[in-house]
Amino acid sequence: MSESKQNRFLQYMREDRLPHIFCPGCGNGAIINAFLAAMEKAGMDFDNIAMVSGIGCSSRIPGYLDCDSLHTTHGRALSFATGLKTANKDLDVVVFTGDGDAASIGGNHLIHAARRNINLTVICINNNIYGMTGGQISPTSPKGSFGTTAPYGNQDTPFKLAELVAAAGATYSARWTTVQIENLVLAIKEGLENPGFSFIEVATQCPTYFGRKNKLKTPTAMAAVMKANTVFKSAAERMSAKELEGKIVVGEFANTTKDEFTENIDKISVEKSGKKTVINSAYETEL
Amino acid sequence: MIIIDEELCKGCHLCLFMCYKNVYAISPEINKKGVQLPFVKFEERCTKCGTCEVACPDQAITVDLPENWWMKEGNDVNFNPNFTKGKK
Ligand SMILES: Cc1ncc(C[n+]2csc(CCOP(=O)(O)OP(=O)(O)O)c2C)c(N)n1
Ligand code: SF4
Ligand code: SF4
Ligand code: SF4
Ligand SMILES: [Mg+2]
Repeated sequence: MSESKQNRFLQYMREDRLPHIFCPGCGNGAIINAFLAAMEKAGMDFDNIAMVSGIGCSSRIPGYLDCDSLHTTHGRALSFATGLKTANKDLDVVVFTGDGDAASIGGNHLIHAARRNINLTVICINNNIYGMTGGQISPTSPKGSFGTTAPYGNQDTPFKLAELVAAAGATYSARWTTVQIENLVLAIKEGLENPGFSFIEVATQCPTYFGRKNKLKTPTAMAAVMKANTVFKSAAERMSAKELEGKIVVGEFANTTKDEFTENIDKISVEKSGKKTVINSAYETEL
Repeated sequence: MIIIDEELCKGCHLCLFMCYKNVYAISPEINKKGVQLPFVKFEERCTKCGTCEVACPDQAITVDLPENWWMKEGNDVNFNPNFTKGKK
């Protein structure tokens, strides 16, 4: 297939910055590949993609990709992305965010972006912990798991992000893990093609903090446990809450269509002022 | 040929875990970066499914083998279509 003997993903990456900063076996690198494979499959123009991320290990991903990107503040990736998409709806805006970034500090932005169904593709890298700051418990840390802020084990019930976002009104929501890499690629492709808010939660491994704190010392041990704990959605529907404890349910949680946020703005602008944008500016003709 | 880039590989051994044909093995030696590199032990088993290329977090693997039957259809390089019929 390829004439050159170079890894197929390197052509999209800032090679001068490689090897990347992620720890050995961190899932972030594989998620970069899965995104690029999905983008190829969807036949998208890489030059038309703008990436937005917050703060965290996972939010460093756009920095390694050779495209336009905004590295914003913690938890606010979706707010920046909303502004970007509304100002220039021809861009394909992709958001990379972590579980802490999206669900704790950015939790409100997440549910409201989903509610408004704005055409963004959000890839939420859920490693069940705050990786960058040294292993604190996150809103998705499983009950009983250990972290620097839970030396006796986490007592709280975690969020189920893919279900939460589907319930909040997203038109596409799915969860896969880094072990089901083919399904992950297909889900990201569907998310990119969906003309509405698309959320792909990727359950992934952070061997350095989650692994070390939870007696899973190697990336392969983490991947094996993740694989063993995976249940397909169709099977999960026939299981009791008790049986599902500690399991990762994978599959699609929303795949529908409804009115999109920027389309709504265009529509009301044309209706009320006869033009596609309500901006009043001396430079209006250049917009 | 399957190529592993020694400069990029960090020795996580996820390629061994992810390859369903057990193509890879771990070298007993440690290189100058302190990494126990994987190596291709059974290349003849490889079906060019592409999983290891995508699963390697460090973009260190290139699978460059003659084309496979599913690659002829629409030039799609990713994954055996028989793999992706899994239920959702
Ligand atoms: C306003 C603000 N609060 C706190 C921090 C510290 N901080 C940096 S990254 C992070 C958590 C990152 O966790 P997650 O989003 O899950 O990313 P990961 O590193 O796990 O990929 C926190 C709390 C910050 N940078 N800014
Ligand atoms: S700390 Fe965890 S999430 Fe961050 S790069 Fe290392 S393994 Fe990945
Ligand atoms: S998956 Fe990649 S980085 Fe990990 S051991 Fe294999 S070749 Fe090296
Ligand atoms: S392409 Fe598939 S079969 Fe070949 S080495 Fe990689 S994972 Fe194994
Ligand atoms: Mg995290």
